[in-house]
Amino acid sequence: MNGPKIYFTIPLFGGIDITQTTVSSFVVMVLLCVAAIVLGRDLQKRPGRRQVLVEKAVTMLYDMVESTMGKHNSYWTPYIGALFLSSMCGSFIGMTGIFRSATADLSTTVTWALMTSFLCWGCSIKRNGVGGWLKGFTEPIVVMTPMNLVSEIAQPISMAFRHFGNIAGGSVLTSLVYSALATVSAAVLGLVGKSFVVGILILVIGAALLYSGVKSKKMARKIFGVVFVATGALSLLGLTGVPYLEVGVPGILSLYFDIFSGGVQALVFSLLTMVYVGNACPPPQEA
Amino acid sequence: MTGFESFVGINPWTALFTFCNMLITFSVLKHFLFKPVKKMIDDRQQEIDTMYADADAAKQKAAALEKEYADHLQSIKDERDSMLREATARAQKREEEILNEAKNEAASIRAAAEADIAQERKKAVNDLKNEIGGMAVEIAGKVVEREINESDHQALIDEFIRNVGDAS
Repeated sequence: MNGPKIYFTIPLFGGIDITQTTVSSFVVMVLLCVAAIVLGRDLQKRPGRRQVLVEKAVTMLYDMVESTMGKHNSYWTPYIGALFLSSMCGSFIGMTGIFRSATADLSTTVTWALMTSFLCWGCSIKRNGVGGWLKGFTEPIVVMTPMNLVSEIAQPISMAFRHFGNIAGGSVLTSLVYSALATVSAAVLGLVGKSFVVGILILVIGAALLYSGVKSKKMARKIFGVVFVATGALSLLGLTGVPYLEVGVPGILSLYFDIFSGGVQALVFSLLTMVYVGNACPPPQEA
Repeated sequence: MTGFESFVGINPWTALFTFCNMLITFSVLKHFLFKPVKKMIDDRQQEIDTMYADADAAKQKAAALEKEYADHLQSIKDERDSMLREATARAQKREEEILNEAKNEAASIRAAAEADIAQERKKAVNDLKNEIGGMAVEIAGKVVEREINESDHQALIDEFIRNVGDAS
């Protein structure tokens, strides 16, 4: 299993690598920016269908941020939205087959996690000053300082590895299953034999069994007929060179590993960012 | 140089690019999507609030006006009723007055007429008496063809007339 492919290296500053992740992340950025400009254009007081959807989405994001971080932090919504959309699109872009998921690279997720941490620290420093921020590590008692430091350092690492691990692991599993299925379909093909005649024969026997099963209403014959017909049809498909098992099953796996996992990880990452930053920016009256 | 990076590893340049991309995405999304959409939603909300407030104010005003008009109408009705009552009372009074006047007048006219009638009757009776007297003298003169003493004659006639008057 390889990491992102390096397309080329710009010979500057000791070599700038242009990798698959760089390209994916750039494409995601361009897509999101274009979408934002197109969707945010030409807004009316009496919205059309497109604008209603856009407003619904934006309102949902604002509601999410306000319910997690509090009303006073609603100005964080654009950042959370950008993070969420970048993460989700960065995961989904792997499904195109042209690009590699940007979030399947530790560089991406570590950067985002560090941004979250720096935002937290920035908020704390802005509110309490550098001294207050450093003093915060010694609370509630001085003995806790090492623990607090460790948790502060562990926070971005855990965030980054969680996101990276889910997406990268998903792609690893998908490719593993894919190659395993290739082996299985080759094995099934070998079982039937590499002859058209055998395939057609099995198909015909199956059809006959199915027909007589339907006529005489015998369940066993019907089942056998279906199995024979399927085997015959699949072997014929295999003979024509269609890798049939690789077509369907990875799609279902991909549904989970790419769409579900990508969405959930994007949500988790932005939720964690909201929680951490929200903790660093409590309501003004408590400050 | 082409090749592959390690599966688990951080490339600082990729990290830098990711950071820049994130910043650009954030600012573009904020500037072109979130801010205008939020502003639009807030504007609309405000407009709706204003409209509702206006509508409420108008409703209250209308209710006040309605009450005012109803009061006004009621007062007009009351005034009309009192005027009607007054007018009716006055008319009744006037009617009675007129009736009484008419009655009195009629009574006086009747009394005058009765007096006239009585006088006329008396006069007629007297005329009749005279005429009948004259006629009787004439007839008697013709019948007896002789001169009778005037005074006897007159006494005779009067007696006769009295008898006639008593008879009638």
